Amino acid sequence: MIARPHRGVALVWILVGLAAVAFLVVFGLVVKKPYVLHMGIMLFQAILLGQAWNVIGGYTGQYSVGHAAYFGVGAYTTIMLLMTHGIAPWWGIWLGMGNAVLLSLVIGSITFRLRGPYFVLASISVAEIIRLAALHFKDFTRGAEGFLLDAVPSLHLLGAEIDFVGKRPFYFVALGLAVASVIANWAVERSKLGYYFQAIREDQDAAHSLGINLTAYKNVALAISAAFTALAGGFSAMYVKWVDPNAFSLPEVSIPIVLTVIIGGIGTIAGPVVGAMVLVPLQEILRNPKGLVQVGILSPDSSVVTFLAPFANAHQLFYGVLVVVVILFAPDGVLGVIRSSLRKTQRRAEPRPAAPAAPA
Amino acid sequence: MADPILQIQHVSKFFGGLAANADVSFEMELGMIMGLIGPNGAGKTTLFNCITGYYPPSRGDVLFKGVRLNGLQPDAVCRLGMVRTWQKVKPLAKLSVIDNVMVGALARTRKLSVAREVAMEQLRVVRMEHKAEFLAGGLPIGERKKLEVARALATKPELLLLDEVMGGLNPSESDEIIQLILELKKAGLTQMVIEHDMKAIMRISDRIVVLNSGEKLAEGGPREIADHPEVIKAYLGERVE
Amino acid sequence: MTVFLQSVISGILVGGVYALVGIGLTMIFGVMRVINFAHGDLLMLGMYVTWRAFDGLGMDPFLSLVITAPALFLWGAFLQSAVINRVLNALPQNQILLTIGLGLIMSNSVMLIYTSDYRIITTSYSSASYSLGGLSISQPLLYAFLVTVAITVALYWFLLRTDTGQAIRATAQDREAAQLMGIDVRAMSVLAFGIGAALAGTAGALISPTYYIFPQVGGVFTLKAFVIVVLGGMGSVVGATLGGIIIGVTESLAAVYIASGLKELVVFVLFLALLLFKPSGLLGKTRA
Repeated sequence: MIARPHRGVALVWILVGLAAVAFLVVFGLVVKKPYVLHMGIMLFQAILLGQAWNVIGGYTGQYSVGHAAYFGVGAYTTIMLLMTHGIAPWWGIWLGMGNAVLLSLVIGSITFRLRGPYFVLASISVAEIIRLAALHFKDFTRGAEGFLLDAVPSLHLLGAEIDFVGKRPFYFVALGLAVASVIANWAVERSKLGYYFQAIREDQDAAHSLGINLTAYKNVALAISAAFTALAGGFSAMYVKWVDPNAFSLPEVSIPIVLTVIIGGIGTIAGPVVGAMVLVPLQEILRNPKGLVQVGILSPDSSVVTFLAPFANAHQLFYGVLVVVVILFAPDGVLGVIRSSLRKTQRRAEPRPAAPAAPA
Repeated sequence: MADPILQIQHVSKFFGGLAANADVSFEMELGMIMGLIGPNGAGKTTLFNCITGYYPPSRGDVLFKGVRLNGLQPDAVCRLGMVRTWQKVKPLAKLSVIDNVMVGALARTRKLSVAREVAMEQLRVVRMEHKAEFLAGGLPIGERKKLEVARALATKPELLLLDEVMGGLNPSESDEIIQLILELKKAGLTQMVIEHDMKAIMRISDRIVVLNSGEKLAEGGPREIADHPEVIKAYLGERVE
Repeated sequence: MTVFLQSVISGILVGGVYALVGIGLTMIFGVMRVINFAHGDLLMLGMYVTWRAFDGLGMDPFLSLVITAPALFLWGAFLQSAVINRVLNALPQNQILLTIGLGLIMSNSVMLIYTSDYRIITTSYSSASYSLGGLSISQPLLYAFLVTVAITVALYWFLLRTDTGQAIRATAQDREAAQLMGIDVRAMSVLAFGIGAALAGTAGALISPTYYIFPQVGGVFTLKAFVIVVLGGMGSVVGATLGGIIIGVTESLAAVYIASGLKELVVFVLFLALLLFKPSGLLGKTRA
C-alpha cells in the first residue's frame, strides 16, 4: 500500500490533482444551480470524512465504526460556542477539534487494548453512549430539539467581507477542507508516522517488537483522525445550521464514513475520493430524486423519479446493500478491483520469472 | 563472566497452573552464540517472550547490559538493543520488502532517506536486495525468514534472538542462514538461537542451554551436550551428533 | 423493599427472554467466530411475524410461535449459506461490517413495507398480572418466562444429549478437529445460525405483547445481546443464560433507581466496562 511510485508517476498524480482542483474552483465560480453546488459540498465533506477515517481505519487498521462521536463533538462545540457565546465558527471550530482530540485520547485509552471486532464494538458503544447522553441531558444539549442556527456571521478577511449566504461560499470552504485532508494524508503516508501506522495494521506484535510504541502511535492516528472528523462536523453545523443528537448516529454518520472508504479502497489516498464520487451522488439522488429534476436532467414526471420516491427514507437500506455487496465481492473497493485487473494484464505482458533453484 | 550482556536469573513463567518456564538461569557474554534447544513444549519460545517483554516473567529477573528488563514493553526492549524474530514469521504483508525493513530501520532514525539506506544495506546482507520492491506477502517461506532477519537487523541490535529461523527451510536455505549467523557473529553481534536442526546448532553455538518441560536441563559446550545422558533421554533416544 | 423485589422479579422475567437472545448470539459466535451485528434485527423480524399472525390471522403470540420459530430458522439458515458463509475467512472487522449491512437491509426493508409506525399487540392478558404476596407479576412476562425456560431446557438437552447437538459443540470448540472427525462443519454453521435466528425470533415473539414493535427496535437488542454474551463469555451457552438474567435485573433496577431514560446508557457503559476489565466474561472461553 505504500507503493513506491517512480518519481514520474507521483508527479503525474500531483499534476492531475492540481488540474482537478483548478477545474473545481472554476466550476464553483461558474455554476448557477444551488443543487449542484450542494452536491459538490456533500462530495467534499464525504472526502474530508473519508480521508480522516482512513488515518485510523485504513492505515492503522483500527476500524472505528463510532466516528460520529468526533463529528458530533465538532458540530455541537462549534454551534454552541456561536449561539451561546457568540464565538465565530472559524475560532469555535478549533475548539471543536481540540475537544475531539481530547475525546479521542480518552476513547483510545479505553479501547485500544481491544483487538479487531472488539475494538469495533467498543467504538460503536462509545458513540452510542454520547448520543444517548446528548438526548438525555437536555439542559446542556437541548435534547432531541438540538440547536438551530439563523445565520453564519460574516468573515472579515484581508479587507474583504465574506458573507456566508447561499451555497457558494460553503462550496469553496468545503473544497479547501477536502484538499487539506488529501494533502495531510499524503504527508502522513510519506512519513515515519505512515510507516508505523501501517506496520501496526499489518502485525501489531511484530510492530511492537521492532520498537513501535503501539499505544502512542494508535493514539496519534486517532487524534489526527478525530481532529479532521470534527472539522467536518463543525463545517456541517454551519452549513446545515442545525445540530441534533443524530450527529452521533451510527447509521446516519458512522456507517457512511466507513462505507465511503471501503467502497473506494481502504488505505489509499484516492480511495475516499473514489468512494465519495460513487456514494454521494447516489445518496443525494435517493434522498431527493426531485433534485435531478431541478438540474434539468430528468423531467418532472419521469419514471425514475416515481420509482425512487418511496425510497427516499430508505437510504440506509441502500447503505446496507452496498456494504454487503462490497464486502462480499470487492473488499478492497473500486481501487482494489482496478488494481487486480491491472496486475492481471501486467502479468500477461511480462515473461514468466525463472523457476526457483531446486533444493540441494 | 565479565560484563555479561544478558542475565537470566531464576526466570519462571506460569500460565494458570502450568509452569511454562521454571527457574531458568544462565548468562550470555558479548559476541557469543547461545543455542537454546529442547523438545517441543519445553518453553523456549516462552523464554524468548519473557526476555523481550512480550509478557513479563512471573518470577525472576532478566538483565540486559545490566539493566533489569522486567515489565519493560517490547518496543523499549528493542530500543535498548535487543530484537527477536518469530517462529511463525510475521511479515508486514501488504508492504514491500524494503518497506518492511525500513520499519525496522525507523527505530533508529526519523528520516526516511536514512532508513532506506540502512534497509538496502540489510537486504544486501541477506542477499535480497533485488527483491526490494516485491510485496512481502507474496514471498516464499525462505525469503520471508530472511526478510524477518533483515528487518530485525535494521534496528541495529546488540543482541539478536532467532526463533527457529531455519524451520521449514530446505538444506541450501538453512546453509545460507547458518553462514549469515556466523558472519553476523564475526561482525560482533551476540545471538541466541532456538533451533530443532541439531547439526546447525552444533555448528554455530558456543554454548547450548537445554530446556525440558520448562526447566533448564543442561548447559554446556556442543560436545558436552551431545554426550549428555539426560539430554539424550529428553529427546527420546534420538542420537545427537 | 417491595419496589426492590418487584424490580428484581420483572428483571428476572425479562432476563429470561434476554437469555434466549444471548444464547443465539453466543452459539453463532461459538460455531463460526462471527460477531452477528444483525441479531437484534432477527428479533425484530420475529416481532413482525408475530404481529402479522396476530393482526391478520388472529393468532395468539404464544401460539404463533409454531410459525415464527421455523420461519426465522429458515431465514437464518438461508443467510448463513448465501452470505455469511462467504466471509468466514475474511477480516473480523469486515464480518462485522457485513452483518451491520444485513441488519440495515432487514430493518429498512421492514420500514419500507410497514412504515415506522409503532405497532402493538394487545391480548386479553397484555396488562394483566398475578398478585403474589403484595407483588404484582405481569402475566405476559410470566408466560414468556415459562416458555423461555422450556425452550432453554430443550436446547440444553439438544446440545448435551443429541448427536447433532454434540457435533455443534465440537465444531464450536475446534473447527478443524471437528472436521477431521468427519463432522460436516458447514452444515453445523448453517444449523447454528438457523437456531440462533430462531431463538432471536422467538424472543421477539415472546416480548411482543409487552413491547412496542417498530423497525428500528432491533438495534437496542443487538447491543444488549452483546453485553449479555460478553458478560457470560463469548461462546458459553450457560454464560449467556446467566448473563441474560443479570442484565435483565440490572436494567430493571437501573430504570427504578437511576433514571428510566438512562437505562440504555447504563447498559452500554456496563458493556464497555466488561470489554475492558473482563473481556472473557464470567465463563468465557476465548480472549479478546
